[in-house]
Amino acid sequence: MSDNVVSRRVMWAYILTGLAVFALMFVLGVFMRAEQAAWITFDAGLFYSIMTLHGAGMIVAMALCGMGGLWYIMDREQPMNPGIAWGAFAAMVIGALCVVVAALVGHFAAGWTFLYPLPFVGATWAPWATGAFLVGIALVVVGWAAYCTQLLGCVLSKYGGLRGATGWDLVFHHDAFVASGRPEPPPQAFAALVVAVDGLFAVAGGMPAGIASLAHFVDPSVAIDPLWIKNLTYEFGHTFANLTIYMAIAYVYVALPRYANREWHTSPVLAIAWWGTLLFVATAYFHHLYMDFAQPNGLQYVGEIASYLAAFPPAVVTIFGGALLVYRSKMRWSLASIFLYAGLVGWLVGGVGALLDATVPINVSLHNTLWVPAHFHTYLLQGVFLFVLGWVFAMLEARSAIVTPLVVRWIAGLGIFGGAALLLLGWYVAGSQGVPRRYAIQPAPGPEISSWATIGALILAVGLLVTLAEALRLARAVREVRA
Amino acid sequence: MAAVAIIGVMVAIARSTTGNPEAQATVTTVGYRLRRGWLWALAACAVAAFAVSLPNFPYARPSALEGRHYPVIAFQYGFEMPKTIPLNQPVVFDVTSKDVNHGFGIYAPDGKLFAQVQAMPDYVNHLALTFKVPGHYLVRCLEYCGIAHYAMQGAFDVR
Ligand SMILES: [Cu+2]
Repeated sequence: MSDNVVSRRVMWAYILTGLAVFALMFVLGVFMRAEQAAWITFDAGLFYSIMTLHGAGMIVAMALCGMGGLWYIMDREQPMNPGIAWGAFAAMVIGALCVVVAALVGHFAAGWTFLYPLPFVGATWAPWATGAFLVGIALVVVGWAAYCTQLLGCVLSKYGGLRGATGWDLVFHHDAFVASGRPEPPPQAFAALVVAVDGLFAVAGGMPAGIASLAHFVDPSVAIDPLWIKNLTYEFGHTFANLTIYMAIAYVYVALPRYANREWHTSPVLAIAWWGTLLFVATAYFHHLYMDFAQPNGLQYVGEIASYLAAFPPAVVTIFGGALLVYRSKMRWSLASIFLYAGLVGWLVGGVGALLDATVPINVSLHNTLWVPAHFHTYLLQGVFLFVLGWVFAMLEARSAIVTPLVVRWIAGLGIFGGAALLLLGWYVAGSQGVPRRYAIQPAPGPEISSWATIGALILAVGLLVTLAEALRLARAVREVRA
Repeated sequence: MAAVAIIGVMVAIARSTTGNPEAQATVTTVGYRLRRGWLWALAACAVAAFAVSLPNFPYARPSALEGRHYPVIAFQYGFEMPKTIPLNQPVVFDVTSKDVNHGFGIYAPDGKLFAQVQAMPDYVNHLALTFKVPGHYLVRCLEYCGIAHYAMQGAFDVR
């Protein structure tokens, strides 16, 4: 019982911190859109400091939101040392604070990608801000590495090493495996395995890039190959960002069946799908370098093939499985189940946008246009974030025994889905018109579209506030139930 | 359009829960058969998309580099580049950067993004093109390069 209290505390610390960071970054995001819509004006330096902070902060926010629950879920399978989880949490939070200070106090504005040699050449900010940013990112990576290592240890020791955790015998010696009576890893354990392994793979790319950058910071005579570090930057950035959704999918695996009154069990197909994810999440990042013609040609083909293949496991197994789970079930629709289910839709829609952009000839006219933020906001805001909200409400609903009234559900739903649709559509439309991303002042038709998008963001904000109020009401009821 | 179709199907599935519920085993038997079809359909789409995209990759083969070469040097915040480019002749832009990463994005007279390549220090990227439409082409930076990134422009005429 007391262990359960400890692991809940770990989970809520991660998730609530993640949501708080999300809220701050959301507000900054609305300011950026309003500035692009010319509703308000601030100077480009501030815009780009905010952009840098928003990008780095949102990814850390989504990561924290996923890490907490996945830790809690896997801790129930096999207890883990909470000390390590707290250490990882502390490193990431301190790292995030360094980034905040670097951006807001130090005016660091090299983008979350801080593509070498940008942080050092033509900088409009103090060198200490570059240092603070690099140290901040390094701390985030250290925390993440510790978390992934612990998670990997948990999965491997519980299910009998890599062979057990990957479901090897389940796939290749199916009858013998079933006869042996050994428990198969539940779906969320596959998510944990892939997050841990690919997470460490991301670290393996991010660490050399970070160390090289810090070395150059200390001694500018240290020269870095710009193409080499660009590869590593995206290997880390893409993989880390992409894994946020593979963490949050554990919430769907665990919570959605409760609402559908059905079971989501492991099948050989599910195991194979996760092997695919393991491989393709790690190799898809080459699509960030399509417009680097100096990149060896073979890698461009790898990028397109891996990006396509990465879509198969979610489309054919997880999202399809989720739809099948819900189809003609005795579904209890509540805020939690609506969010979880809608997240699957957002993931699919964002995936289509991503696939188009991952096709090299199409990338020529979409690369670094607003199409890019369009698709990743789709699966962060309407995928990862909804899975997190779904999980939070699943916990609150189970313990408060309150079902949100239909009216509130409609207001929250219309605000969140409607507002987000308008916000996202702005990026898709502008991107397809070739409006570049990361422009403090956009060429036409950017500003006009940004106006609509800002309205969408404000509607979304109303939906989020209603949802927050409802969450607080449920949380209060939980406390009363306990008292 | 794809988005509307996806949302439509998913909403229909969600609405199915208001009708008579069915046992999970019944649903999965049909579902798994459907899944196999869905897998093959997706695989066919992926193979077709890859096959169609392949000949349209923008990476210049050595033979395509025989056109006239024009150097482009990007810098914070502008482009050193020729003012005019010939019409209907194969040309190659040799694109590099003096300082940080930039993007060399060519916008056609109708405002559409026509072609692009990254401009990177220490490397030269070869962008092979043939301009078939005369007029004034705008160049915009398409890689974040510092706080005046949004204002980084160039231009040339195709005649
Ligand atoms: Cu630029």
